Amino acid sequence: MAANFWTSSHYKQLLDQEEVDVVQPLDRDKGINLEDFKLIKMHMSNYISKLAQHVKVRQRVVATAVTYMRRFYTRKSMTEYDPHLVAPTCLYLASKAEESTVQARLLVFYIKKIYSDEKYRYEVKDILEMEMKILEALNYYLVVFHPYRSLVQFLHDAGMNDISMTQLSWGLVNDTYKMDLILVHPPHLIALACIYIASVYREKDNTAWFEELRVDMNVVKTISMEILDFYEGHRMVSDERINSASSKLGLKPETSR
Amino acid sequence: MGDGNTTNRGVTTGTGTSNNNSEKPEWLQQYNLIGKIGEGTYGLVFLARTKSPANRGKAIAIKKFKQSKDGDGVSPTAIREIMLLREITHENVVKLVNVHINHADMSLYLAFDYAEYDLYEIIRHHRDKVNHTINPYTVKSLLWQLLNGLNYLHSNWIIHRDLKPSNILVMGDGEEPGVVKIADFGLARIYQAPLKFLSENGVVVTIWYRAPELLLGAKHYTSAVDMWAVGCIFAELLTLKPLFQGAEAKSSQNPFQLDQLDKIFKILGHPTTEKWPTLATLPHWHSDLQHIQGRKYETNGLHSVVHLPLKNPAYDLLSKMLEYDPKKRITAAQALEHEYFRIEPQPGRNALVPSQPGEKVVNYPTRPVDANTDFEGTTSLQPPQPASGNPVPGNMAGAHAMSNRNVPRPMAAVGMQRMQPQGMMGYNFPSQAGAAGGINPGGMPMQRGMTAQAHQQQQQQLRRKDPGMMQGYPPQQKSRRL
Repeated sequence: MAANFWTSSHYKQLLDQEEVDVVQPLDRDKGINLEDFKLIKMHMSNYISKLAQHVKVRQRVVATAVTYMRRFYTRKSMTEYDPHLVAPTCLYLASKAEESTVQARLLVFYIKKIYSDEKYRYEVKDILEMEMKILEALNYYLVVFHPYRSLVQFLHDAGMNDISMTQLSWGLVNDTYKMDLILVHPPHLIALACIYIASVYREKDNTAWFEELRVDMNVVKTISMEILDFYEGHRMVSDERINSASSKLGLKPETSR
Repeated sequence: MGDGNTTNRGVTTGTGTSNNNSEKPEWLQQYNLIGKIGEGTYGLVFLARTKSPANRGKAIAIKKFKQSKDGDGVSPTAIREIMLLREITHENVVKLVNVHINHADMSLYLAFDYAEYDLYEIIRHHRDKVNHTINPYTVKSLLWQLLNGLNYLHSNWIIHRDLKPSNILVMGDGEEPGVVKIADFGLARIYQAPLKFLSENGVVVTIWYRAPELLLGAKHYTSAVDMWAVGCIFAELLTLKPLFQGAEAKSSQNPFQLDQLDKIFKILGHPTTEKWPTLATLPHWHSDLQHIQGRKYETNGLHSVVHLPLKNPAYDLLSKMLEYDPKKRITAAQALEHEYFRIEPQPGRNALVPSQPGEKVVNYPTRPVDANTDFEGTTSLQPPQPASGNPVPGNMAGAHAMSNRNVPRPMAAVGMQRMQPQGMMGYNFPSQAGAAGGINPGGMPMQRGMTAQAHQQQQQQLRRKDPGMMQGYPPQQKSRRL
């Protein structure tokens, strides 16, 4: 399991893009469209990163937390489960799963620091209750594979593990968590897509190395295009756009009780 | 919640066996609670039977995790156990059949296939009751299956970290009689890419089975720590006595255990930097020079302790498991290929049958069940039922219904075809309808109220009592820190 992605629950749970892009009926009723849905998830991924910096956990914990959050919303609605509670709780759960446990009260402290707005504030009790709901919704599958390990191995293997290539491709991988790629594609293909983009950007010719890999380059290129499209679209996303998407939820704090 | 408050439960309290309780949450109603079979720092273990027609009467061990007192949600122990057991399936690893959450009191329940025996009880029975050693076929079969399960874990980058006899379960009558199941993954972890040094997790492995590199404060350790524990267990199966019975220094988080090291050195001789080059880099080897290196045990007396000639394959395998240098220590995969498993008697799938027809069957005691404790852990004051008088007939009859044990089937090789038991249709985890498993109630120190127990029960109540209760044979020690 831990060693073999192909026998893991992660592999078995990979979804098609269409399955990931289903807006839950309750959210749709509130006027949330697919674009809003993606924006809110992106916003929450950023929120998780921000919290993670405060509580000082590493990128892999963030990546696992974001994956939990994204999986969660393929099954549950944002109307019933407030993303502002689900996101930090996913970080809380991921910190345990990745053996870097963060105390709930520390998270609560930083949530209050980040959000002055009362309606986004949650207490320890809310996080602990939500932790169990998330565990249940994830069907108790907690092991998540990430592109980072294969990224390092690939860069080494291709002889491209200089600082500039490593930093660029690593940063690209980080940004993939602003999208749903981790729910759809095997992590090593996401890593390859990031290397592909980075090498084009740095004008390094890796054609021969890529050809030697026994992977479907069409998939790698598709993922690369998705990432580039995301960057393209991202430039036009303003805070107001995110706020208007979030405000549609109305955020009834149903989940706290 | 999360303050450890146990009021406001979703389940009725204080009504004894609550078998016919209609106020139970829906998921609980699929089980008949038989009683409590274990208790530990993180919760209780119950024996229950499924009601669903497909598996009616099937014995299930349910491990209930309490909310931690410090307001930190689901215990990391439970998270580790769930996350690992949800990914792995192997004939020699316990099978998690279900996870349940009771939102009302925020408790978490893990349901496992029930295993009637464990190596702690089997060894104890031979030592205290039968008064003769475990037959060579059984020892070899238990060890082979233990290694087979461990090889699977290690090849999946999982270190168990808490192997000891009470965590090695053996199935009773049913679909997989005499099959070994490795249990209690509360300390297990994936070691492929740890975010922190493994040693930051606190001290692991019960002290008697703890590898010398851990005792000497190694920062990075490997699956070899499990193999050391297997070596200790192997010796204990042969002699019925723990091999290295050190007295635990309990005062601190410090894993340095001088007495335990001394017990090891006394039998195996002092380790040397020639044989174990990285020894000099281990913190405690330096920090306590006069004690550790002060006494000199020159010779290796292991063979005389286990009463085996030096050229015996069993001794050869054992000494390779108890190799000081973790890098040179035999791996589970290598051990399975060892000559010991190729010579007669060949290991078999049912470890508990007699090695030859006509040989006496050993009836191991079944687990005592405290039928007066409900899922809340509330005990009524009625006298407990003796374990043998179990209310439900079937495979729980255990020791008294073992006449149908067969002569062993030889176990061909690693990766033999495994028998498919009946599907687990009644369960939530369709993907895991594989081999049956069990839980480890044995991994928890029993803390039953002696005073409230009927006198006839005392013998069984004494299983794994608090330290000091059993003269001359200290119970297994725990070192569980999260």
